Amino acid sequence: MSLQKQTVVPDADAPVATYPSPVKEFWQAFSQNKGAVAGLVFMLVVVFAAIFAPLVAPYSPIEQYHDHLLTPPAWCEGGSRAFLLGTDEAGRDLLSRLIYGARMSLLIGLSSVVVALIPGVILGLLAAFFPRMIGGSIMRLMDVLMALPSLLLAVAIVAILGPGFINSIIAIAVVGLPAYVRLTRASAMSELNRDYVTASRVCGAGLLRLMFITVLPNCMAPLIVHATMSFSSAILEASALGFLGLGVQPPTPEWGTMLASARDYIERAWWVVSLPGLTILLAVLSINLMGDGLRDALDPKLKRIA
Amino acid sequence: MNLLEINSLSVAFGSTEKPFHAVDGLDLTVRQGEIVGIVGESGSGKSVTMMAMMGLLDGQGRITAERLQFDGKDLLTLGARERRRIVGKDISMIFQDPMTALNPSFTVGYQIMEVLREHLGLKGSALRQRALELMEMVEIPAAASRLDAYPHQLSGGMSQRVAIAMAIACRPKLLIADEPTTALDVTIQAQIMDLLVSLQQSQNMSLILITHDLAVISEIAQRVAVMYAGQVVELSRVPDIFLSPAHPYTEALLASIPEHSKGARRLSTLPGIVPGHHDRPVGCLLSPRCPYVQDSCRTVRPELTTTSAGAVRCHFPLSGKEA
Amino acid sequence: MFAFIFRRFGLLIPTFIGITLLTFSLIHMIPGDPIEVMVGERNLDPVMHAQAMHRLGLDKPLYAQYFDYIGQLLNGNLGESIKTREPVLKEFLTLFPATLELALSAMLFAAFFGLLAGVIAAIRRGKATDHSVMGLALTGFSMPIFWWGLILIMVFSNYLHWTPVSGRVDLAFDIPPRTGFMLIDSWLIERADPANFSGAFIDALRHLILPTIVLGTIPLAVIARMTRSSMLEVLKEDYVRTARAKGLSPFKVIFVHTLRNALIPVLTVIGLQIGTLMGGAVLTETIFSWPGIGKWLIDAIGSRDYPVIQSGLLMVATLVIVVNFAVDILYGVVNPRIRHAK
Repeated sequence: MSLQKQTVVPDADAPVATYPSPVKEFWQAFSQNKGAVAGLVFMLVVVFAAIFAPLVAPYSPIEQYHDHLLTPPAWCEGGSRAFLLGTDEAGRDLLSRLIYGARMSLLIGLSSVVVALIPGVILGLLAAFFPRMIGGSIMRLMDVLMALPSLLLAVAIVAILGPGFINSIIAIAVVGLPAYVRLTRASAMSELNRDYVTASRVCGAGLLRLMFITVLPNCMAPLIVHATMSFSSAILEASALGFLGLGVQPPTPEWGTMLASARDYIERAWWVVSLPGLTILLAVLSINLMGDGLRDALDPKLKRIA
Repeated sequence: MNLLEINSLSVAFGSTEKPFHAVDGLDLTVRQGEIVGIVGESGSGKSVTMMAMMGLLDGQGRITAERLQFDGKDLLTLGARERRRIVGKDISMIFQDPMTALNPSFTVGYQIMEVLREHLGLKGSALRQRALELMEMVEIPAAASRLDAYPHQLSGGMSQRVAIAMAIACRPKLLIADEPTTALDVTIQAQIMDLLVSLQQSQNMSLILITHDLAVISEIAQRVAVMYAGQVVELSRVPDIFLSPAHPYTEALLASIPEHSKGARRLSTLPGIVPGHHDRPVGCLLSPRCPYVQDSCRTVRPELTTTSAGAVRCHFPLSGKEA
Repeated sequence: MFAFIFRRFGLLIPTFIGITLLTFSLIHMIPGDPIEVMVGERNLDPVMHAQAMHRLGLDKPLYAQYFDYIGQLLNGNLGESIKTREPVLKEFLTLFPATLELALSAMLFAAFFGLLAGVIAAIRRGKATDHSVMGLALTGFSMPIFWWGLILIMVFSNYLHWTPVSGRVDLAFDIPPRTGFMLIDSWLIERADPANFSGAFIDALRHLILPTIVLGTIPLAVIARMTRSSMLEVLKEDYVRTARAKGLSPFKVIFVHTLRNALIPVLTVIGLQIGTLMGGAVLTETIFSWPGIGKWLIDAIGSRDYPVIQSGLLMVATLVIVVNFAVDILYGVVNPRIRHAK
């Protein structure tokens, strides 16, 4: 019946369908989100300022200019062009303190993400691979940590360990741990049912290979997004600890710590009150904007919000 | 007289510079009391066409048409409010998966009565009475007790019967059934199809049946439109299309029905898949898969041309002798 | 349904035991000598030290100490504050209504405006309204609320003089606690004694406004974002298409068929915000000198009042667990699919 029929063979001259590369596709999706790009640009500026603080900042952050207590910002009446954003109650240059403060905030944020991420992923994978005894106990432990409000738990840990830079990192990391464990476990569990995992298992892959090479890369998208979001909440928590006097101790400049004493100047020096907080808000907002962009670009199905 | 007339309907998604035409210049007419089948692979634009006509695309797709007329009314110029007076009453639709088509938070009875209240203004015991009547019409056993059931308490077949009851509640002139049996067990499929046909006859409705099951079409439809990649490639009366398909794609579809390939050792298949967003060919959309492809097919896109039996979109339509 | 409640309740017990272990070990993790830390003095007399160790049971093995601790908890003995010598439970119960009042008020504020904003953004998806509502929500979500409180005080109290700076009610009104809720107490006393307490209710209300906004900001943002994404998710569902195919008006499609189903995840999020709220209460109460649990705990940490820290944390954690449990149950009531599950 099919004398005239030809077999269809792939034709070398036929236009080959081209699909955009994953990286390009990711960047296209990410750059379409204007908020995410704005957040990225702002964060690049902050990171640059933090790294090159000694070059960028006009003064030392702890140098006190006693002739210039509570000088308003340059554009205000009584302001001085020497102190662009004014000075605080001890005559320290606010701009320099904010720039050096970025170092503290970014460092605490980044370290606590790393300190929470690594054990969180390992515990989450363990819980997914051994759902019975080990997984059960890990998850109950995480339930316990989740039952305490995050800030309260951080405050309690710092209250026990004592205030300071390292202890802030530990406290914030412990608070962030359960979310990583749960997230890793949930995505690993759903991957474990897929055929490719079974295939790898049938091929004789060992446990570590299954965990870290077969399953983990496929759980990365939600983890990356969550790490971004928890970076921003770590900055918020660090500054809250600082505000309560339990974080980085003065005179080291830290955004939250700078606000701790600001309440007394509410009526006299608005810049001392508003500028450090505005900096925190902008930094956190930028990271969250990037997080939203990452989520939309990496994993459109991801709906987690906090 | 034509109940529904669609001329050159297009639906575009995506950006205006690089639109993706899910439906591309579609023509279709449906007469009063007629059953028309639409067949094609997944992604060929069957459902989008119907959704566009009913105004269910929700502003995402851009709809253009030369003519989109139902029962003497121009659906293109009709305002949203007037269109809603027709949709659900004179045109209604049932969907593929009955398990997700019903709202899980409301009882079955509520969801049927909602249509009656909205379009016919029924109230009180008359409302409940009519809902019960409808449940009995679609042959739901123990209808009275099932009125207060939640959708998740019903089986797929029962849910689809409820969906049909909702669709025929206001005696529509046109019922669109979008793969109404695909999601159901094989044993239930025939029951639902019989129910649809008997309701179509008793209510004298027109019925558009979207399916990829050619066997069903051959049994119940009067005419059939074959769709491929958003276009109608062949339009024909029912016995003719099975006896002498004019389009290579139709021929391939028929060859893939087990009953048509008796004697052959393997079931015939058409290699490749429907072109997506990134790989639409320049010429005839079927050209990369067509066994009869010629050079001109790869460069020039064919138009839909009228034939004695209907219409076909092919540079070299099959003569029909060989089928 | 009862089996469902029972099963969920069973999961609470290990969590609760874990919490007691945590608060128990807390006291043992403090660097330094526990007695010296508790008394707040160094170089105590060894005899007194040993007596104190014995009196507090600190000379027993750890597991025995833990069982003592559990025994005391079960008897309702949560220890007493080093600073005030009052039982911790009594202090907690006196201060708790203030926090509850603030938290409820903040939650109402957040839920109302959050749902409204989320629904509006979902309906106007992709339009300018959507972008601005979601931009504001993300800003709220990123807000350092201690700073937000300071700014609101600066603008509304110091500059505009619209709202009081701190406390629950003006000191001129000496309102005897009856229910512990200042709004109710002030209203009752104003009715009973209008001569001396005229305007007390309005005054209490004015004190509540700024703390409510400050504490409610982050939950509001979270609820708005969740409502929007949940609405958009449900709007894609087949049954919403069915509802539209019935010819229902957009209003009915949104408020009858979509919102009800979209609310289910939002409700969970609202429940989970209780934890955030208690954490936020620490900051909000500190800023506004609001005499509640949060300020109490921070003050206790400042004065190293360990029994208060230990039992206060235990009470807060228990509260969060119980609320989350209640949310789980409520979830089952709203969602018939869960209610009917075996």
